[in-house]
Amino acid sequence: MAGPAVVVFLLMFIIPMILAFVLSLTDWNGYSLNFNFIGIENYRFAFRNPRTVDAVIFTGIVAVTGTVLCNIIGLAVAVLIAAPGRANTVLRTIFFYPYIISSLIIGFLWSAMLQPNGVANALLGHIGIGPLPFLIDPTWAKGSVIATILWSSFGFNMILFIAGIKSVPTEYYEAATVDGASRWQQFRSITVPLIAPVLTVNLVLTLVGLLKVYDVVLALTEGGPAAATQTVVYQILKDSFARSALGLGAAQSVVLLIATAVLGLTVTLARRGAERKVAA
Amino acid sequence: MSAVRARGTLPGAVLKWVVLAAIALVMLIPMYILVISAFKPQAEIIQQPLLIDPSTFTWEYLQAALTSEKFNVVRAYGITLAFVALVNLFGIALAAPVAYVIARGRKKWHMGLLLLFVSGLFIPGQVTLIPVVFVLRVLGLINTVPGFILFETAATLPVTIFLFSAYLRTVPRDIDEAAALDGAGQIRAFWSCIFPIMKPVVATIVVLNSISVWNDFVSPQIILGPSSGIYTVTTGVYAAVGQYSTNYTVVFPTLLLAILPAVIFFVFMQRHIIGGLIAGATKG
Repeated sequence: MAGPAVVVFLLMFIIPMILAFVLSLTDWNGYSLNFNFIGIENYRFAFRNPRTVDAVIFTGIVAVTGTVLCNIIGLAVAVLIAAPGRANTVLRTIFFYPYIISSLIIGFLWSAMLQPNGVANALLGHIGIGPLPFLIDPTWAKGSVIATILWSSFGFNMILFIAGIKSVPTEYYEAATVDGASRWQQFRSITVPLIAPVLTVNLVLTLVGLLKVYDVVLALTEGGPAAATQTVVYQILKDSFARSALGLGAAQSVVLLIATAVLGLTVTLARRGAERKVAA
Repeated sequence: MSAVRARGTLPGAVLKWVVLAAIALVMLIPMYILVISAFKPQAEIIQQPLLIDPSTFTWEYLQAALTSEKFNVVRAYGITLAFVALVNLFGIALAAPVAYVIARGRKKWHMGLLLLFVSGLFIPGQVTLIPVVFVLRVLGLINTVPGFILFETAATLPVTIFLFSAYLRTVPRDIDEAAALDGAGQIRAFWSCIFPIMKPVVATIVVLNSISVWNDFVSPQIILGPSSGIYTVTTGVYAAVGQYSTNYTVVFPTLLLAILPAVIFFVFMQRHIIGGLIAGATKG
């Protein structure tokens, strides 16, 4: 009964993953099935290329700030609206809804608003500010990418945190209130330790997800201005398909795969330690 | 003590609602602007972003987007919906029996089977895309609908098998035994006795997979490719909006049409979507 699924999965997942290593050592162009083995030339080229180094740095900035901010805002909002009630349900829906819209379309929406003559600058103009170079100055553009990601994703973290908070027995809070603990003390000593596993899931999912950011960047900035917002996956797909260097793309993919695995595992293990300390 | 607390909480409550209302506005204003801008001329969109003037209100641009020759959005709805339906169908048909075998199995290889599929959760899809292009080229399926469906179906297997097998562990074995006593084979017993019990988890998976297939951009862009002539909602929007990002009378109506089905789906399925995500993520 398991046969068909295993065949499909091997064909589209496991074999390609192994093939990525093989193809990364070749000059495959994507069109034919012929290629030459060129050793570690692709890796050497990628690591010496300043464009790739910039992409790695920007991806790191996006992943780290995105993970930290999405989780801080998601947790803060979750604490405020975790209680049942109509207003809280409405707010949850409002904060969460961008999750079901494709990130490509979210990128286009924000791009339309942040253009030099766009809606955001028109509104700022009414109150006497601007125009601000949201997408045309490299530093501003980086900020715009991170802000757009934040806007569209913190709601997902919030939903998971709410699920975690709801699983904490209410007796704990009642007992703490009787003992005179403040809301902040209750948050520090009850909520945070008891939702430790949810925090781990949230951190790992956000980090691993942000390491492969692509659609938003493509639609929002097209990697610009002056390549300032190119991410690693942007680079991989551009090298692979716009430049027909799939061997090079495969090499960068292998590096990304290893980086994702190492970072994901590190966060998981670090959090395991924190969770165990809490349980003890 | 309680008097002190009461004095402290009133400004606290006010602050809390001010902050929440401010975030809610930031979340809603872009969507509001997207909707009203679909009915306004370019100059109006730029000069009065938040207002809609009844005298210049027009269906013209929305109609133009609906009938655009560059991107047939109605056709794209149909194509994307068909992909969503097929991937759900194949994904569930493939995953359910495996999950059943895993949930009922007690041997080491059963655990190995689960780990094999769950490993897929940690492999970023973009990373395998390039070698997948190679495999599909060897199979002669690159730039074809079957090739795309095959890849998307495989991509649904890790989450689906994980959630299905977790759910099936909670289904009592008595049901299997009763079916076996009545003379049903393993496959027959599964589809006619066990699968109907899986309704809640199947609903969760349908919601999760539908969102991810509907929103996917990279895989249809690369695997189907422009040469296939088949555009999904996302690849169509990219083709239609990509180069015209400052012609707002094209951008906003097109984006509105693109998100309309997803938003309607969300309004009706909201509770299931959020519940399904929680089930999916907390078990993952």
